[in-house]
Amino acid sequence: MAKDHRAGSKVRGDKLPAILMASHLLEGDTVFLGDSGWTMDPTAAKIAHDAETAAVMEAEGKAAAAANTVIDPYLVPVDLTDHGLPVARHFRDAMRQKGPSIHPDMGKQAEFTPLD
Amino acid sequence: MYRYDEFDERFVRERVAQFRGQVERRLDGSLSEDEFKPLRLKNGLYLQLHAYMLRIAVPYGTLNSRQLRMLAHIAETYDKGYGHFTTRQNLQFNWPKLKDVPDILGLLADVEMHCIQTSGNCIRNVTSDQFAGVAKDEVEDPRPTAELIRQWSSLHPEFVWLPRKFKIAVTGAEHDRAAIKVHDIGLKLKRNDQGEVGYEVIVGGGLGRTPMIGKVVREFLPKDELLAYLEAVMRVYNSEGRRDNKFKARVKILVHETGEEEFRARVEEEYAKLDGPTINAPEEEVERIAAYFAAPTYEDLPETSQVLEQARAIDPELDRFVAQNSFEHKQPGYIALTIALKEIGAVPGDMSADQMRAFADIAEKYSFDEFRVTHSQNLVLPHVRKDDLPAVHAALKAAGLASANAGLITDIIACPGLDYCALATAKSIPIAQAIAKTFADQERQKAIGELPIKISGCINACGHHHVGAIGILGLEKGGRENYQITVGGDATEHASLGERLGPGIDAEDVPAAIEAIVETYLAEKTGEESFIETVRRTGAEPFKAGFAAFIESRTAQHEAAE
Ligand code: HEM
Ligand code: SF4
Repeated sequence: MAKDHRAGSKVRGDKLPAILMASHLLEGDTVFLGDSGWTMDPTAAKIAHDAETAAVMEAEGKAAAAANTVIDPYLVPVDLTDHGLPVARHFRDAMRQKGPSIHPDMGKQAEFTPLD
Repeated sequence: MYRYDEFDERFVRERVAQFRGQVERRLDGSLSEDEFKPLRLKNGLYLQLHAYMLRIAVPYGTLNSRQLRMLAHIAETYDKGYGHFTTRQNLQFNWPKLKDVPDILGLLADVEMHCIQTSGNCIRNVTSDQFAGVAKDEVEDPRPTAELIRQWSSLHPEFVWLPRKFKIAVTGAEHDRAAIKVHDIGLKLKRNDQGEVGYEVIVGGGLGRTPMIGKVVREFLPKDELLAYLEAVMRVYNSEGRRDNKFKARVKILVHETGEEEFRARVEEEYAKLDGPTINAPEEEVERIAAYFAAPTYEDLPETSQVLEQARAIDPELDRFVAQNSFEHKQPGYIALTIALKEIGAVPGDMSADQMRAFADIAEKYSFDEFRVTHSQNLVLPHVRKDDLPAVHAALKAAGLASANAGLITDIIACPGLDYCALATAKSIPIAQAIAKTFADQERQKAIGELPIKISGCINACGHHHVGAIGILGLEKGGRENYQITVGGDATEHASLGERLGPGIDAEDVPAAIEAIVETYLAEKTGEESFIETVRRTGAEPFKAGFAAFIESRTAQHEAAE
């Protein structure tokens, strides 16, 4: 079901730069593909600036899903902050990068350096 | 309260063991996500935006203190210290880990709880009137019926893979507090002219993307024929309901496409073929179940309590709380008390583990160890002695549970929305919080009176927005969250669907728009009319005009600011 509601696909225009986001099978947490494997930290997400890198990352995501590490990996179009950190362009993906807006004490926003 | 027999106990334990095996096989890769998903959903486990979510069944919304203490323990040990009560009278945990879920299910089984029938295309947890067994306008307690349906439907081999989910609600009262007209099947216990008890059977109501009010398919069904008749309805649905298109698979679409007359005829035809006596529950079983719901041993008390009257006279806060949150009990000297999980600025329906423990103590001491969950995401202490009310109020207040706004404009229903839900198109909880803050003033709330606002974060309508006196639906428009507002929805015996007032608006404009709508109501209202009564009389037109004026002034302000 999540597939029908993937926000990244709704973003108009350029789909790059992008990061790869998924859910961790065992924990359920949102995870990002980093330079070496999956990370819970949104600031450590690897950024694809070109289509080739994005395609390689997407393939890595599919392989990880097939290997039962993550669920439902997908590319998320992002904007870069002044510090070069990736912020999802769609508000739904941005919510996943942060955690619930009503609980600043929970989710990524409580555990990691903020993106912006 | 219903207690498990060995059969229930064994069934629930077996399901826990099965699920433990399924999780193990998922983790070692022998089950793929596509194979595992329907299995986890059968056990109430969803995957949301940030984490898994576990939905725990609260059959017909009845719980005891031991169960609530266990929920508090689970919230603290395996989650983030709170739980969320939903519009289907269930409880959700928002942060469980997959690896912990079998253990959580085991702990739930220890207190006769489970997550079965909270998800998937089966007959879901049956919901009921939160004042069951208490209300003066009740023909009969609806919970024995709800429990009977639970037992019949839990393992019914024919109905485990229906075209779509199936929700049944039962009320025993004249005034419908269970929203039976917007369920797949709604049952109302009633008496016929001969004084016999039976059911009015309503089929094909529902919300979601195609909201519909249910149709009466049987005016009076003798009480002992219930299961066979339900089986006939389910058979017609199971064989003729659409499986080609998920959005058209609910029974409401079948009733609509077949036509009310024809659908009724099909059900009666099927019913005639069934061998009723082999399906209907034997009388002893019906009586056995009913005995569990026998009234507690009340004391003989005068209707008025001097203790309470005196306390109210000197404590305006207590006075306001009792005036707003109490519900007349059929037993003299008692009342039922609504605990609104709606403190201004709080998340509607959320309860912390500490509050759960405090509330468990209160229910145990003052309400025969029983409480209820309401579809408005509130709780009810069903049997409180009026003499005890001052003490109960003090204990609730100490736990942050004495919000005196039951039924008022700040008692808002909101689905989880984009803060948690993977299907959401917009946030819904922050909208509820902003409106509650806008109308926080007690006197103002009182002047506005009863006004149910209901908010959903997408067209699935889990927040019942179609039947809110004011309904708010969050959508996505042009990459932003956008909110459509309706008025005139009603979930009671006068069920109706709300009418849209105009174009969608931005999140930050919603509280002011609600103020404009309330102004229209206060200007139009005659006498003691409630909001919904006014809308019913005037129609939506004056509200549309008020809303249009609001949009115009808003646009002018935005332009001036630029
Ligand atoms: C992960 C969370 C949830 C998911 C995936 C979900 C999914 C859905 C879907 C797809 C529908 C539309 C069904 C249809 O029209 O056929 C729906 C309806 C509904 N859901 Fe949810 N929901 C979720 C959470 C909730 C919550 C938290 C509540 C209670 C607050 C709830 C109560 C309802 C109700 C009352 C309806 C409308 C009644 C009807 O079935 O027509 N759901 N839900
Ligand atoms: S209405 Fe939509 S956003 Fe709200 S809980 Fe249901 S599916 Fe999620």
